[in-house]
Amino acid sequence: MRPQRLFRQNELYLFFVLVAFSAILTIINPSFLTFENLFDLIYSGAGTAILAIGVFIVLLSGGIDVSFTAIAIAGQYVSVHVLIASGIDNIYLAFLISCSLGIALGAINALLISIFELNTLITTLGTLNVFHGALLSFVGTKAINVGQIPDSYKEFGSIDIINIMRSDGTSYGLSIYALIVLGIAVMTWLILRFTMLGRGIYAIGGNREAAKRAGFNIVGIQFFIYCYVGFLAGIMGVLAVSIIRYSNPLYIVGEELNVIAAVVLGGARITGGSGSIIGTLMGVAMIIILQKNLVLMGLSSYWHQFFIGLIIIGGVSITYYQNKLRGRKSLAYLKQ
Amino acid sequence: MIVVVIIMSASLPGKFLTLINFQSMAVQIPEFGLLAIAMMIAMITGGIDLSVVSITNFTGVISALILKTYVPGEAQSASLFSIILLTIITALAVSAFSGFVNGFLVANVGVPPILATLGTQGLFLGLAIIITEGHGISTFPEKFLYIGSGKIGGIPVPLIIFIASTLLVALFLRKTALGLKMYMVGSNPVAARFSGINNNNVLRMTYVVTGLLAGISSLIMISRVNSIRPGYGYAYLLQAILVAVLGGTDPGGGYGSVLGVVLGIIILQTLQSGFNILAFSPFFRKFIWGLMLLLVMVINFYISIYQQRKRPRKIKTET
Repeated sequence: MRPQRLFRQNELYLFFVLVAFSAILTIINPSFLTFENLFDLIYSGAGTAILAIGVFIVLLSGGIDVSFTAIAIAGQYVSVHVLIASGIDNIYLAFLISCSLGIALGAINALLISIFELNTLITTLGTLNVFHGALLSFVGTKAINVGQIPDSYKEFGSIDIINIMRSDGTSYGLSIYALIVLGIAVMTWLILRFTMLGRGIYAIGGNREAAKRAGFNIVGIQFFIYCYVGFLAGIMGVLAVSIIRYSNPLYIVGEELNVIAAVVLGGARITGGSGSIIGTLMGVAMIIILQKNLVLMGLSSYWHQFFIGLIIIGGVSITYYQNKLRGRKSLAYLKQ
Repeated sequence: MIVVVIIMSASLPGKFLTLINFQSMAVQIPEFGLLAIAMMIAMITGGIDLSVVSITNFTGVISALILKTYVPGEAQSASLFSIILLTIITALAVSAFSGFVNGFLVANVGVPPILATLGTQGLFLGLAIIITEGHGISTFPEKFLYIGSGKIGGIPVPLIIFIASTLLVALFLRKTALGLKMYMVGSNPVAARFSGINNNNVLRMTYVVTGLLAGISSLIMISRVNSIRPGYGYAYLLQAILVAVLGGTDPGGGYGSVLGVVLGIIILQTLQSGFNILAFSPFFRKFIWGLMLLLVMVINFYISIYQQRKRPRKIKTET
């Protein structure tokens, strides 16, 4: 068991890196440290943050999920289609459709992983292709452009909770997305911290066999985990289409690496049992800031993929090397 | 497998059982077949290598650059030959080094293979994108294209390379100490360590070998397509994992054989060319491959339960 103090240390490092990074960016371009830019970062990073919270829970339980992007795009595309076809222009209905589809697809993952005890990576890699392939072959491949997207999405995407006037009379604001992310983060934190379910997730991640013998309902907990990821992916799907006002069934899929990078950077370990929501959100902030400011730093966007890879490797190397050094005292320590 | 062939031939008379079809299959097999065998080796040690396709791209870009830079328009055949040789050696060195990076992360730093290779997947692909700025590189010297599309006695060169590499890998796994150690590390790392095996060394070598196989696949790929673009061949990743699992490899480590994977490759390729004839869309294929992967895993699960029930005390024999 890692001592609780160490988690905080990990987050502290990340926090300092984040501050230093922002300071450098501010020196290069003073417009970085403005409310306007901050609000914009939150607006565009909200989707990634929500997905990251989902991935974080899966990692916590010792698994990995790569199918969430396919679930998000499926939820988005199907909900847009239903809204157009039915003529009911209501954002709540969109969320309802997207999230229930997400939960259903998540349940398929959970079924395979818990009942058949399959390897989580290979299973979700399979379902990623099944979900995305099914969406493209049975629902459609055509992108839905701005004109056809129901108005409720566009309105939802432009709701602000705080509005600040600029000197020239135009205004900018903090999107409602900030509230949604905050709400999900707090809810997830409460579940993990104060419910038996949350403790069960940590327990499975720490030691599955021990958790089973301690009387945790492994199948039930895994169903919750993967359905919750599906639910969050459903929310993200609607948020994403509300921002760009364009629904292309080929979008989002392929972004898995970004999200996993953010979570891993936040200190969650794939062998499970450790990590925190705050760390995850800071990891997301790091990735989003990097992504948005590569050009500002004088590097072309071609460097993006390279940096994401480097961040994952750097992040995991630090976490696991500490772990390895600590484990060196024990002779039988060989966990990979 | 035979069942698949019969079904395909019966449902598509006059199309499936043609020489051209078999020849095109023979050309397509080596590229992802080598990747599948690389995946199998990683799985035998209980790991996985998600970076194989990225290594292929990275190596391909480097080789393409060498070919483009050093081959003048009208080269002497002798110097051309040495440049091609240089390209091949560099490609193998680059891919082996890429594999070594994976191995180092897994063995020395202690990062789980999934995360290590997920990171290097981005890293190597990123390098390829930075070098080419996202563009493709194409048209190589004609002599070089021989690797990918030449024929010796009617048999395509890639197939010969594939068969040779497969035999080498099979011998390596069965007859060398290192190969046997890979199985032991995969089935029980703690026991392997206590029997005096240097686990770190075995793991490092494992990923060097997977890198090398990806490098060979890359040479075949760029010389067959006569171009390289970062991101090419991403569908191969799922197919490689699918074939490895289909061929009886246990992702948990310790089990897997070259013969099984080769059978898996032939089944997949047979289906693939069947799909080509039926003109399935790439999206529908994606759906089917994913479904097949899940199905095979579920079937494997039931088989293992059945075997355990049948022979409760016998140790599971290697297949």
